[in-house]
Amino acid sequence: MSGTLYPIDESDLSDAVSGAIGPLQILGGGTRPIGRIIKAQKLSTEMLKGIVTYEPGALTMVAKSGTPIAEIQTELAAENQRLAFEPMDYRGLLDTNGAPTLGGVVAANVSGPRRIQVGAARDFTLGLSFVDGNGQLLKNGGRVMKNVTGYDLVKLMAGSWGTLGVLSEVALKVLPASETQTTLEIHVTSWEQAVGCMSAALRTPFDVSGAATQCDKYGKIGVLVRVEGFEASVVYRIEQLKAKLFEFGNITELPDPWLEVKNLNSWKPLNTVWRISVRPTDALKILELMRLLQKDRGFQCQLDWGGGLIWIGLNVEQANDVASCTQVHESLQALVATLGGHGNLIKSKILSNLDITHFQPLPRAVSIITKTLRQKFDPRGILNPQRMS
Amino acid sequence: MEMPQPNLEVLRKKLEIVTALLEVLPREAVIDNPAETKAYECDALTAYRCPPMIAVLPSTTQQVSEVLKICYHHEVPVVPRGSGTSLAGGALPTVDSVILGVAKMNKVLETDYENRVIKVQSGRTNLSVSGAVEEENFFYAPDPSSQLACAIAGNIAMNSGGAHCLKYGVTTNNLLGVKMVMMDGEIVEIGGSYLDSSGLDILGVICGSEGQLGVVTEATLRILPKPEGARPVMIAFNSNEVAGTCVADIIKAGVLPVAIEFMDRPIIEICEKFAKAGYPECEALLIVEVEGSETEIQDQMDRISSIAKRHSPIELRQSQSEAESAAIWLGRKSAFGAVGQVSDYMCLDGTIPVSALPQVLRRIEGLSKKYGLKVGNVFHAGDGNMHPLIMYDANKDGDLALCEAMGAEVLRLCVEVGGCLTGEHGVGIEKRDLMEDQYSLNDLEVQMSVKDVFDPKWLLNPAKVFPLSASENRRLG
Amino acid sequence: MQTHFTEKQLKDPKVKHTNDILRSCIHCGFCTATCPTYHVLGDELDSPRGRIYLIKDMLENNRTPDVKTVQHIDRCLSCLACVSTCPSGVNYMHLVDHAREYIEQNYRRSLSDRLLRWILVRILPFPNRFRIALLGAKVFRFLGYFIPDPRIKAMFEMAPQKIPPRSTNDEPQIFPAKGSMKMRVALMTGCAQRALNTDINDATIRLLTRHGAEVVVLKQGCCGALTHHMGKSMESHRTAAVNIHAFADEDDARGLDAVVINTSGCGTTVKDYGHMFSGDLLEKKALQVAALARDVSEVLVDLELPKLPDQGMRVAYHAACSLQHGQQIKTYPKDLLRQVGFKVFEPENSHLCCGSAGTYNLMQPKISGQLKSLKVETLEAKYPDVIAGGNLGCMMQIGSGTELPIVHTVELLDWATGGPKPPAFFGKSS
Repeated sequence: MSGTLYPIDESDLSDAVSGAIGPLQILGGGTRPIGRIIKAQKLSTEMLKGIVTYEPGALTMVAKSGTPIAEIQTELAAENQRLAFEPMDYRGLLDTNGAPTLGGVVAANVSGPRRIQVGAARDFTLGLSFVDGNGQLLKNGGRVMKNVTGYDLVKLMAGSWGTLGVLSEVALKVLPASETQTTLEIHVTSWEQAVGCMSAALRTPFDVSGAATQCDKYGKIGVLVRVEGFEASVVYRIEQLKAKLFEFGNITELPDPWLEVKNLNSWKPLNTVWRISVRPTDALKILELMRLLQKDRGFQCQLDWGGGLIWIGLNVEQANDVASCTQVHESLQALVATLGGHGNLIKSKILSNLDITHFQPLPRAVSIITKTLRQKFDPRGILNPQRMS
Repeated sequence: MEMPQPNLEVLRKKLEIVTALLEVLPREAVIDNPAETKAYECDALTAYRCPPMIAVLPSTTQQVSEVLKICYHHEVPVVPRGSGTSLAGGALPTVDSVILGVAKMNKVLETDYENRVIKVQSGRTNLSVSGAVEEENFFYAPDPSSQLACAIAGNIAMNSGGAHCLKYGVTTNNLLGVKMVMMDGEIVEIGGSYLDSSGLDILGVICGSEGQLGVVTEATLRILPKPEGARPVMIAFNSNEVAGTCVADIIKAGVLPVAIEFMDRPIIEICEKFAKAGYPECEALLIVEVEGSETEIQDQMDRISSIAKRHSPIELRQSQSEAESAAIWLGRKSAFGAVGQVSDYMCLDGTIPVSALPQVLRRIEGLSKKYGLKVGNVFHAGDGNMHPLIMYDANKDGDLALCEAMGAEVLRLCVEVGGCLTGEHGVGIEKRDLMEDQYSLNDLEVQMSVKDVFDPKWLLNPAKVFPLSASENRRLG
Repeated sequence: MQTHFTEKQLKDPKVKHTNDILRSCIHCGFCTATCPTYHVLGDELDSPRGRIYLIKDMLENNRTPDVKTVQHIDRCLSCLACVSTCPSGVNYMHLVDHAREYIEQNYRRSLSDRLLRWILVRILPFPNRFRIALLGAKVFRFLGYFIPDPRIKAMFEMAPQKIPPRSTNDEPQIFPAKGSMKMRVALMTGCAQRALNTDINDATIRLLTRHGAEVVVLKQGCCGALTHHMGKSMESHRTAAVNIHAFADEDDARGLDAVVINTSGCGTTVKDYGHMFSGDLLEKKALQVAALARDVSEVLVDLELPKLPDQGMRVAYHAACSLQHGQQIKTYPKDLLRQVGFKVFEPENSHLCCGSAGTYNLMQPKISGQLKSLKVETLEAKYPDVIAGGNLGCMMQIGSGTELPIVHTVELLDWATGGPKPPAFFGKSS
């Protein structure tokens, strides 16, 4: 295998893919080594960069897929706008280097706490150009928010982890940044209360833009509820929320904690981490299972999206040994399969050499559809093969 | 409108097919006599009509599966139908097809306020989904103008939007899961009450696939807490350009209204005549709606008003009561009906970048003169989704053709300025033949290959979306 | 929509009117959302849009109606919810009436159908005959179980247990106003109503006179609604003409401020007399009477009832289709009830018909039964003390499906302002 390929434009990219003689590992900034990564020729989109157009008055930006997210965020901030879906930066959690790119964020459908209010990365992707497994340059969608011309392959490509094509250009919907934010912390005494509290907050008309938990070193759970907008509006809504949520515990205001909630930097030293998405009230069943399996070894846990997103982490003692960690992994995915949702292994030192299902196994019918779709886009099976398994 | 050649073999087997259907459906659910199938010959796009061979009205997912199995076996094309309110001819049959109507399946299956989701049968009307959760102060956000009558099944097929999608997104942003029957009768469940898809976003491609990938019988939808209140502000301008600039300024200022509606002079005049909403005489009218508590509403209205005043509006009216809100919205909501009382019309759905608004309106005016057909524009200014209403006379020979030609030019114009052919109505048959103006054959090929995955025999609604020449091999294959 | 009537066809003013109506329909399908038969059957053909299509096809082509077309049009309740919903102002009422008339003239129904309809036409509009029939049904009720035809069965089941005696209020007379006379009105006493429930007219007379209206009862007959909706226009014109003469002559002689109607099903028809008799010799008088026609709630609003303290009673207001859709009167009855101290609410899906619809509950018992269950369910769901409505047919239909007392709106208003407690509260009345 030669060194990483860095195509400089779409034609280059097309050639690189069509000329590939074996599997390709598609990279943006290479900050998210999640899933099954087999030995392959690396191909990075880092040189396919640059903002193509930006129309603040139309809330649209078009940029090449290799454009660093940081650059996009800087441009947007200058016009008081932002990527509303608040993409997570995995570099802390996964201890990786590099610059996360737009293409990577879309391909992995990376979102953050605000997903619960405004939607995920895939909901903000208006159109894209990509190169399929045959090296063909294709496009779908456009530059406008409302677009139902033909099939929505934009949604299919988002979250496909590079297995259907290599993104070369993306059109994004952007939103105004908020004038200010305030976050409440409600000190609850149980996970049931935590989920109940977040649910109560999200049922109010006060436009909550973040509902997550954080634990202190004593294991005390704090529910974080965020409100954003114009100053007066935020003040009003915070007062209303305090009245609604005081029954769940003591309430304090705290300075913006959302960077850590979003990026989980403090989880860097953890040995094994899962990311689970289920119906929020089902989070309690997941936690119950973990308590059963881990017994007094314990585990780390953070909820986001009102309980709909569960991060489970084990440090090296909690991971214990391969057998028990594997059992946790398999039990989690089995439980999630019955509840509905997905549980993916994000990182694990202890399980790293094993042949396990990183991504949630799919039900039979969906699995067949998935396989056939991949065959259409990538008949030779060279694009990030088996990545999502 | 060109339609594929009917499959004569299927037509010959009609009796056999009806007999097979009667084994899985009660008598009244199988409609096969010409006096009755006529009523299913079109949806809300009446310019094109063709009675189906048979129409069936199943009541359960299992029945849908049995019906599709029969059609799969006999190679009968199937056209799914919700409430038949499509403006793109999505439910237009072919002479050899079976219309599969889901209107009997309209129940609420599960409401889960803790997790903020609702599961319904797909034949349920859009507004009645909100109706089911209203008492608990929730609502279902996507609100197409036809929401009173349109079905969730159709909303999913077309990825419908509505005036409020500026803030809340369209159907695909509010759909969490479906139960779908594939053409061979297999029943699959995709997604559920959780966020983000497990593997590939198959749900995302099903939404907007215009009934070509499967028949959706159940849907899990997001429900949202109702805002404390909402009120509109009406702003009248002397020029379309100025109105367009005002829209862009409002957005840039960081105010995110719930809806921004735009109406031009011809529409305002017709509306005034029939709805008598009390709109002033002007070139362009904006209705901007904001949500929140009383104070928040007032604050946002003040911000919008001060931005608007910079552009010297003829009139600016902030609604101060529910009655005033209703009055301001009255004209906009009755626009289509009002035009319908004056003339037959074709409603287009092209979307453009907001910045291109003024020039597109000017060029549409030019086309109106060129073709001699009057045009009124009413649309969702916040996202550039235009609805030019081209007025013609259905009873006048040649008028329809003229109207179609003009419509095609308008849509090509939308693509030319960086927009697209359809923002929320879908392609159906109406824009099928314009698809190559927006996509290359290669781009269409990859979309069609997705259909190959779900419906290799190309029996589900095969005459829609893709130009007939492009899909020919697959349909005849 | 595009229509295809020939020049010759369009020479007939009736056809021209229908053509105009059809052209105004844009086939948008909004009407399907509020149609009770579409709600229960889910079939385009049993929706207003589908019926419009069938009617268009039938009339354009001067077709002999086929059995299916007739079936779907027969299934129409004429509740007119579609008229309330239509964004294009399609006059569906005139359209379906025209179709019914056409079917009556051009379609040979089955023998049992013809017999049944003949019986209804000969009996229902005539109180004396109707009383005898009711008595017969009561005595021979058990026979109903043996009869296979579901419609005849329904007739037996609908016959009330208690048949009220003839009321003296039906005789021509004048009821003077109490105190100063604010207006002079004629009361339409109805036909079937006189046989089935005399409390309504009694309460109406008391209520109107108590608040300053002089009420005159004239010699009159059936307004023609029942027979009109069956397509029997000769019959309906005959009986309507009697009323038109009676009211128009009284107005000419002694002046009338209104013709008060307390059965909304009749009110809709009387208000449409102008169209019904268009081109007829009686047209002028018909228009005169139509202009005078008022639902009792409209008149009561003008008479200004007193504001009274809380009566401590929850009233479920049932909005009759003919009143809310046919006459577009949606708030007056509720306002009046609240004015005199009742707590008022409407059930969910209040736009949906209860299934009574004139003779519908006799002619289409299955669908009628389904709609009745839905209506009763939504009314009972909020635990009212009493159900109030403005149309006798509804009262009987809903009454047969619930243990709750059900009264006419005027009975409650009468009671609150000094009249007797309505009999319905003392166990099931008629």
